[in-house]
Amino acid sequence: MTNDLLGLLVVIPLASAVVSVALIGHPTHQRVLGLASQLTMLALALTWLVRIRDGEVMVSQMGSWRAPFGITLVFDSLSGLLLCAGLIVAISCSIHSFSLIDPQIERRYFHPLVQLLLMGINQSFLTGDLFNLFVAFEIMLMASYGLLSIGHTRQQMAQAYKYLLLNLVGSTVFVITAGLVYGMTGTLNIADLARMVVERTEAGVPLPTGFTGLSVLLLIVFGLKGAFFPLWFWLPDTYHTFPISIAALFSGLLTKIGVYAVLRTFPLVFAAGEARDVILPLLAISAGFTMFLGVLGAVSQNQVRRILAIHVISQVGYMVFGLSLMTAASLAGALYYMVQHMVVKSSLFLCCGVMEQHAGTDDLDEIGGLARRHRWLATAFLVAALSLVGLPPLSGFFGKLVLIREGWSIHWWLSTLALATGALTLLSMLKIWTLSFWRTEPAPSGADRRPTVRVESLRGAHVGIGVLVATALFVGLAAEPIYDIAFHAGQQLTDPTAYIEAVDPLRIAAAVESSAAG
Amino acid sequence: MTTVLAVCVAVLVTVSIYLMLSRELKSVAMGVFVLGHGANLAIIAMSGSPVLPGGGLRNPPILGSSDLVDALPQALILTAIVINFAVMGFLLTLLIVTARRTGTLNVDELATLGRSNPGPEGDDR
Repeated sequence: MTNDLLGLLVVIPLASAVVSVALIGHPTHQRVLGLASQLTMLALALTWLVRIRDGEVMVSQMGSWRAPFGITLVFDSLSGLLLCAGLIVAISCSIHSFSLIDPQIERRYFHPLVQLLLMGINQSFLTGDLFNLFVAFEIMLMASYGLLSIGHTRQQMAQAYKYLLLNLVGSTVFVITAGLVYGMTGTLNIADLARMVVERTEAGVPLPTGFTGLSVLLLIVFGLKGAFFPLWFWLPDTYHTFPISIAALFSGLLTKIGVYAVLRTFPLVFAAGEARDVILPLLAISAGFTMFLGVLGAVSQNQVRRILAIHVISQVGYMVFGLSLMTAASLAGALYYMVQHMVVKSSLFLCCGVMEQHAGTDDLDEIGGLARRHRWLATAFLVAALSLVGLPPLSGFFGKLVLIREGWSIHWWLSTLALATGALTLLSMLKIWTLSFWRTEPAPSGADRRPTVRVESLRGAHVGIGVLVATALFVGLAAEPIYDIAFHAGQQLTDPTAYIEAVDPLRIAAAVESSAAG
Repeated sequence: MTTVLAVCVAVLVTVSIYLMLSRELKSVAMGVFVLGHGANLAIIAMSGSPVLPGGGLRNPPILGSSDLVDALPQALILTAIVINFAVMGFLLTLLIVTARRTGTLNVDELATLGRSNPGPEGDDR
């Protein structure tokens, strides 16, 4: 199915970012513009998602250049689900930021940067070209560097360089790998690469020498972005220094881009042939460590922000777990888990922002008694926390159910580890819940610096939390339609025929065929 | 030719890794800068000889057979250079702001600052 409007999801945020720069000094106008652009994109993405619910693939060839010459945008079940979830998260975080972001920060480039971030994210989800994926990553990272250093407090500055340098090195490795892929195969189009892999496997021709090396390099790059096990060290240091609305946005979206990139390229291309025997064990080991070490880190922390930040890592482990099994159902499970995690994790961060407003701190030793004074906040936090843990009928349960059931026959030890991680997640979430909401307020040391908060000033924050928690409930209670789409995605990833036929790359690759023959 | 390029890439990457291991952020930034050049050279080296094993030229796919050579690797590098340039500009700006805010560009001192600074969210332990 061709749909030439797909480019709108990249053009709308770009245009609104440009206009938003012209509106500096008028924060209200910027807010309205940003929200309008996000809502438009969400409406478009939802409409298209409904149209492809039976597993079709929407394709747009930029400038009518046929793949693999032009840039291909692909909207299939995988990108559709993630786009919708990402936009819902972005909308809620924006509404939340209206009431909680420091006016000094918001005054100038906050709104344009959020729009550019969304542009990069949408393009990463849509693109069907490896080099274009790199460009999309760069757009997104550039905006995130801006958001990271905006307001520049001392503590933020002391941490910002780590994130920047690591991502710079990661991007450099990505460029090298993209060059290597082109040198080896003569194409960068993902569908074209997938067809090459399929045809070579069927004809019994081995993949180019060094293909496994490429796969591992790409895994390192995406693992760095996605905070997989040995490459997660940058995350806990940076996330807790951000303004809270930005932290929520990043935790929901940025690490998922890394996981998405693995989900898109590895089952189709880079886990084929000999590479499969190297990549899958690597992913499995990484999944185990990511899950378990992440949650151990979270249990050991005593500040709400840090607990939530380290939990991002532990949850990424579940997605990697789904990837390491690489069956249709486990990929669907990983996708569902990503969707629910984006929504739930961001809503926890947003709740944390309001808690800080009420208590003046996020140190668990000093806050307490919030449940009595703020019932709705307590309810929202509990629902989100239990969704994260995976208590039925909330959303995390269905994600973990599919993953653990699929994993049982392949890596039983990973499934066991996933269950243990779930128990520890419950422990750390209940720690936040009991200490900050349930117990009575501790002695006055914390109370005397509690700021007086006017309820009206938090209205935006409450709306943001409300939207996300409602979405989380929807994802849990209406798991079936979402899983239908996710299973289509899983099938398309394990059997790329539909994807290749939809993109329909022209056969050029003379280099490949001659070297394959010779 | 490819051998010369490969040696150049190796030298550039070695120098950049040496620089990146430094405790001073200025040197680290230079290391990243050099690494970017190494990456661009690596693409040129890896995009392969323009002469195919069969003897023909590696033609640009749109034009069909002609005397021209596929220019896509150069186009990729051009994009990468532009992006690298922008990011380096940002990195240097960030370092200046960091130096102004914290008074140091030494990694160890920044780490103690990040840990012990009594920020609005309170202390870490």
